Amino acid sequence: MKKKIIKLTLFILAFGIVGYNSVYIKKLDEVKAASKGFDASDFARKFWQNKLRPALGKASDTEQLLTQLQQQKEKTFKEYGHSLGMGNIKYFLSKGKGVVQEVSENNVSIQVGPDTVRIATEYVFGNAVRDASGQINLSEFSNTMDLNNVSAELNKIIRSEVLPAFRKQVKKGDTVEFAGAIELNQKFPDMHSVEVMPIALRVVK
Amino acid sequence: MMYRTKLKSFLFLSVFLIALFGCKTRQKTDEGRKIAIVVSTLNNPWFVFLADRAAAKAKELGYESKIFDSQNNTALESDHFENAIASGFDAILFNPTDADGSVVNVNKARAAEVPVFCMDREVNTTDGATSQILSDSYSGCVSIARYFVDVMHKKGKYVEILGLVGDNNTWMRSKGFHSVVDYYPNLKMVAQQSADFDRNKAMEVLESMLQAHPDIDAVFCGNDAMAMGAYQALVASGKADKIKVFGFDGAQDVVESIQNQKILATGMQYPEVMAYTAAQFADEYFKGRREFPKKMPVAVELVNQKNVGHYGAYGKQD
Repeated sequence: MKKKIIKLTLFILAFGIVGYNSVYIKKLDEVKAASKGFDASDFARKFWQNKLRPALGKASDTEQLLTQLQQQKEKTFKEYGHSLGMGNIKYFLSKGKGVVQEVSENNVSIQVGPDTVRIATEYVFGNAVRDASGQINLSEFSNTMDLNNVSAELNKIIRSEVLPAFRKQVKKGDTVEFAGAIELNQKFPDMHSVEVMPIALRVVK
Repeated sequence: MMYRTKLKSFLFLSVFLIALFGCKTRQKTDEGRKIAIVVSTLNNPWFVFLADRAAAKAKELGYESKIFDSQNNTALESDHFENAIASGFDAILFNPTDADGSVVNVNKARAAEVPVFCMDREVNTTDGATSQILSDSYSGCVSIARYFVDVMHKKGKYVEILGLVGDNNTWMRSKGFHSVVDYYPNLKMVAQQSADFDRNKAMEVLESMLQAHPDIDAVFCGNDAMAMGAYQALVASGKADKIKVFGFDGAQDVVESIQNQKILATGMQYPEVMAYTAAQFADEYFKGRREFPKKMPVAVELVNQKNVGHYGAYGKQD
C-alpha cells in the first residue's frame, strides 16, 4: 500500500513537471507584437518626426546647391550627397523659396534664383526622402525589403499629409517655401529637370 | 634502457605534435590563395560578364580563380560548393541559383570557414554569407514603373512576365514595379506568368498571352533576355509598333534595341561594380577585415530612349 502511494506520488509529480514545462501561457498582445517583426510604418513615422523634420534646419539652400553643382560637381556630390548603397544615384536634402511658374498634373514648377525646380505632386515614389538626410544606417537592416518598405511608408506620409492642402491652395504666381529631397545621377546630373520630393511645403502669399 | 625508450617516445610524440600543430595553423600567403566563382548560369551573357569580371578582379588582386556554372540547378551548385571546399578554395564569390535552396550551400562553406560573398542575387540568410552585394532591383523597378505610368498616360492593359519564382530578384522587381503602378486603377494587369528569365520561354509565354489578350498596350519583363523574347513574339504577330516593351538588366541587345526605338526602357545594373566589390571584399577578408555590410545595395538606373546615349551594355558609360 505504501509502495503504491509512493508510485502514485512520483507519477503525479512527474506528470506535473512535464505538464508545467509543456504549456506556456502568454498574453495574446505580447505574442502578436513578437511575431510582427519589423514595423516599417512605425519606423517611418518615428524617423519622420524625430530625425527627418529636425534635419531640415540644416538642409542646404537649393539656389546655392544648384549653383555649386554646376560649378564644382564632384566636390558638391561628395559634401552634400547621400545614399545607402553604392552607385551613381545620390540624394540631397535641400530647402528654398521661389515663385510658382506653372501648376501641372504631375508637378509644380518654381523659379528659384536663375533655376527652375519641380515640386513632385503626383509621382512621390523612390528612396529620395529616406536617404537624403544620411541618417539611416544600412547595417541596422538585415532585410532589404524592410528598407524598401520604409521608403514606401515615408512617401505615404507625404501623399497623405504634405500634398493635399498644398495642391488645393497653390496657384501660378504664389511664393512657396519648400524643403525636400533631390535625386541626381552623379555621372549624368540632369540640371534642367531637378525635382524635389517635398517634405515640407508652405504657400507664403 | 628504460629511460632511453621513454626519451625516444617523448621526442617522437613532440615531433608528431609539432608537425600536426604546424599543419593546422599554417597561414597561407596571399599568393597561394584561390577564389571560386560559382554562378547560377553561364547560359545568359549577363552572368558570363559577371563571372568574367569577378575572375579578372581576382587575378588583378593576385589570386587564382575558377568559374563554376550551376546551370540553374541547386544540386549542381551544391556539388560545386563541396568541390570548392574540398579543393581548398579560400573564398567563394557566389551568384546563387535559389534564395532559399542555396542557403544550405552557403552554410556549408561557413562551417568550413570559407567566406562567401554574394553577387547580384541574395540568399535568405543573414549570417550565412559574409556579405551580399546586390542590385537594388526594387528601387530600379520603381524608376521603371514611374516611367511606365508616364508613357502609358496612367491607363491601359498590360501583362507581366516574371523570372524564376525561386529567385528573390524576381519578386523584388515585381514588387517594386507594382508599388507604383498599382496606384493607378486604370492600368490593368490582365496576365502574369513566369518565363524563368529565359528568352525562348518568354517568347512562348507572350505568344499564348496574346491569344487570350490581343488588346494589350504593354509588357513588363523581369529581365532583358525575356524582353527580347517578348519583342520577338510581338514582331512575329505584327504588333511590335503598338505594344510597349520594358525590360531590366542593361544587356547589350536591349540597350541597342532602345537606341533603335524597339524597346522602351530597361533598368541598368552594374555587374562589374558587384563583381569587383565582391573580389575586393574577399581580398580584405584575407587581410584580416571581418566586419562587412551584410547587404550592400547597388543602385540601378533607368535607361530610356531619352538618356540611352549615356549608356553601354552592362553599365558601361561614356
